[in-house]
Amino acid sequence: MTEPSTALPQGPDDRATSFQAVQGPAEPHYSGQVLLVTAYAIVWAVVILWVALIWRKQSGLNTRLDELERVIDKAASRAPAGVHDVE
Amino acid sequence: MTRQRSRPVDVVALTLVAATAILFVCEILFIFLVAPIEARMGIVQKIFYFHVPSAYAVYIGAAACFGGSVAYLVRPSDVADAIARAGAEAAVAFGAIVLTTGPLWGAKAWGAFWTWDPRLTTELLSVLIYVAYLVLRTFAGDGPGERRFAAALGVLGAANLPIIHYSVQKWGGQHPMVITGRGGGLQHPDMKIAIALGFLAFTLLAVLIIWMRARVEIASSRLRQAEEDAVDLGLDTRTEA
Repeated sequence: MTEPSTALPQGPDDRATSFQAVQGPAEPHYSGQVLLVTAYAIVWAVVILWVALIWRKQSGLNTRLDELERVIDKAASRAPAGVHDVE
Repeated sequence: MTRQRSRPVDVVALTLVAATAILFVCEILFIFLVAPIEARMGIVQKIFYFHVPSAYAVYIGAAACFGGSVAYLVRPSDVADAIARAGAEAAVAFGAIVLTTGPLWGAKAWGAFWTWDPRLTTELLSVLIYVAYLVLRTFAGDGPGERRFAAALGVLGAANLPIIHYSVQKWGGQHPMVITGRGGGLQHPDMKIAIALGFLAFTLLAVLIIWMRARVEIASSRLRQAEEDAVDLGLDTRTEA
């Protein structure tokens, strides 16, 4: 009786004749491509998030500035002519 | 009353934005189309071309925070405070990139996402100090006392930077020493060009964003002052809204 072959197939014509369980804990296998794409995606996500945050703060400033201008304009229109002439 | 709303176009800022964008496009094309795949690690080594410049950008942010903090402690001003705050934000953002891209590389190279290696640990510690700085600035108010306390934290945060840099030499660990070590370094000229482009692109990005963020912060301080002046003059901006 011949022993079943334990070697890995060496080519397309070399058919596997057995499956064996891993001895001990299985080594984790990570795909380099997936890790690379994930890393680059994170870089751009952080940069875009940061720029969006600055954009949001700038929008907040614009809103406050508009409000302040509106209040000043309103006060200037109520005041007698010449009193609040900023220009 | 006529008020000028639109600001003049800032030529320097636009030039910086264009230069940064062009450099990043060149860098990405160079990394993926020209730079060779590393023999032992394979394609995952290409993370290095963004990971290391990001770590360097953390130093730029931390240096800005340190400079702004010292300037604020010597002579308090909105500009110094804004630069310190923008620098701390940069340190946290680039630190987040370093602390996520590094473990992704480590998963392939070391078989583990994280080890308590001296450089990894000191880097994490440093980023946490700047996170603490930002939490303080966000939730503890914006008075002179809070600003002074944050400036002291900004100065103390910089003390950790040399420790990160020399941790590999002093305490060993697994972290590679390709750039600063005495080993072979980058063995292919295209690898050297790729990392040089990375350093240049990230330097410009860091400077650009710190500058823009500081400008927003300075404008915010001036607006807050104008709002207070308006209230003092009897123009209550909150009740009139």
